[in-house]
Amino acid sequence: MKFREKLQSGKFVITCEVPPPKGTDTSYSIENASFIRELADAVNVTDNQCAQLHMSSIAFSTLLKQNGYEPIMQMTCRDRNRIGIQSDVLGAYGLGIRNILIMSGDYPTFGNQPGAKPVYDLDSVHALNAISLLKKGTSLSGSNIAGPFDMCVGAVCNPVPEKKFQIMKLEKKVKAGAEFIQTQAVFDVDMFSEFMDLIRDRGIDIPILSGIVPLRSVEMARYMNQNIPGISVPPEIIKRMEYADDQIEEGIEITAEIIKCMKNISNGIHIMPIKSHRCTKNLLRRSNFL
Amino acid sequence: MILTESKPLGEIISKIDKKSNVFIIGCNVCAAKMGTGGEPEIKALTDALTELGYNVGGSILPTAACSIRSYESLVERNENIQNADVVLVMSCGSGSSVVATVLDIPVVCTTNTLSLGGLSKGDIHTRICIMCGDCTSSIYGGLCPTAECPKSQLNGPCGGSKDGKCEVGNKDCIWELIEKRFSGQENLPFEHYITHKDHRND
Ligand code: SF4
Ligand code: SF4
Repeated sequence: MKFREKLQSGKFVITCEVPPPKGTDTSYSIENASFIRELADAVNVTDNQCAQLHMSSIAFSTLLKQNGYEPIMQMTCRDRNRIGIQSDVLGAYGLGIRNILIMSGDYPTFGNQPGAKPVYDLDSVHALNAISLLKKGTSLSGSNIAGPFDMCVGAVCNPVPEKKFQIMKLEKKVKAGAEFIQTQAVFDVDMFSEFMDLIRDRGIDIPILSGIVPLRSVEMARYMNQNIPGISVPPEIIKRMEYADDQIEEGIEITAEIIKCMKNISNGIHIMPIKSHRCTKNLLRRSNFL
Repeated sequence: MILTESKPLGEIISKIDKKSNVFIIGCNVCAAKMGTGGEPEIKALTDALTELGYNVGGSILPTAACSIRSYESLVERNENIQNADVVLVMSCGSGSSVVATVLDIPVVCTTNTLSLGGLSKGDIHTRICIMCGDCTSSIYGGLCPTAECPKSQLNGPCGGSKDGKCEVGNKDCIWELIEKRFSGQENLPFEHYITHKDHRND
């Protein structure tokens, strides 16, 4: 079954993030994907994440596809204008990629090309709309392309219930054609649950994949709390990490507990490990998946 | 108001020959307000160059460097410009470009043009309009996410604001300001899809 069919079937979906290499040698990234070969329903390929230069997500998605994985190609609005976005969508389709995830993208000054000219010709809602039009055989300007074709398109969101305008935007993303939503990392299950209730009350009926970042240390938890918008690690988790004999072990345990809760709240998970996927199998086993 | 900053003196002198006759043109509007091209700055640059052994033949301070009638109008103000080999323009890029249209000798701009900003209640506001040529600020009650959101998000905020601050630089997240301005209001004018910009005129 393809990723989209799994989403539609109501199966609890697992996707995993695999960044492209920071050069031309793909062996490490391909090996990283191999750790989750049988576990993930689809592999999420980042697009120059954190504005750090990597191999293009379209190229690495294609390589993964050739290696037997089902890629979800991430695409930001940071580096391409409307011609580039539309053209890359057509190119991705031509290369056999059938899933795309749209986001605005981290600002260039965060990365290793800080003097780059940011594009942002389209915002993330425009980009989703552009793809919906392309799928019907029309470009954003109204000119016709040879179509139609079909692709599964997703978007991202911070699962923070009090961010009213972010939820307004989420609603627009769904109307513009998003078929699934991938969230920022979830640590506060109650807050996430409140977010889910809120969007369901508003009639936003779309599969939500909860972001999962395996905790590795108490410093990491504190750092994310202070620096990453949309992430909130509750004090109980900080305390558990602080007093754990083995923080890595405790981090896996906490993450597994969060994943187990997600089974009843959301439609799937999206795992974004800090380093490799070496521990992902263990994490999923502990979450009673294997 | 066009926001500018002065280039370092070293960069300016790297563009001029010691033997040449230098003439300076300031700008009495934005650059004067920014302290990059008004009377005191012209004097300071003249003094600094003279001290370094450059030959500054004169200067003028037009009302606006971006609005020059003709070469003759410059000569009327200071005829020494006729002896100049190079003209330094202490204004934004628009000013130096306009000056270059009436001269046939090298023009050196002494500033970096930063953005179209403004001055309100004593505070300088950076990048409040990016001259997109398709003004939509009225949708947002006069605030402009096209310019003030570094990612030009027209349909709602990105996920990057923290405590009301934009993830880029030190500014407030414009979407948080829009949210404040419209708080308690139903039927927000940007509640539905806001279409992409037409950049043909920018
Ligand atoms: S919408 Fe365009 S023209 Fe209007 S204030 Fe913003 S950037 Fe300037
Ligand atoms: S934090 Fe606000 S102003 Fe900054 S990029 Fe995001 S939406 Fe735009």
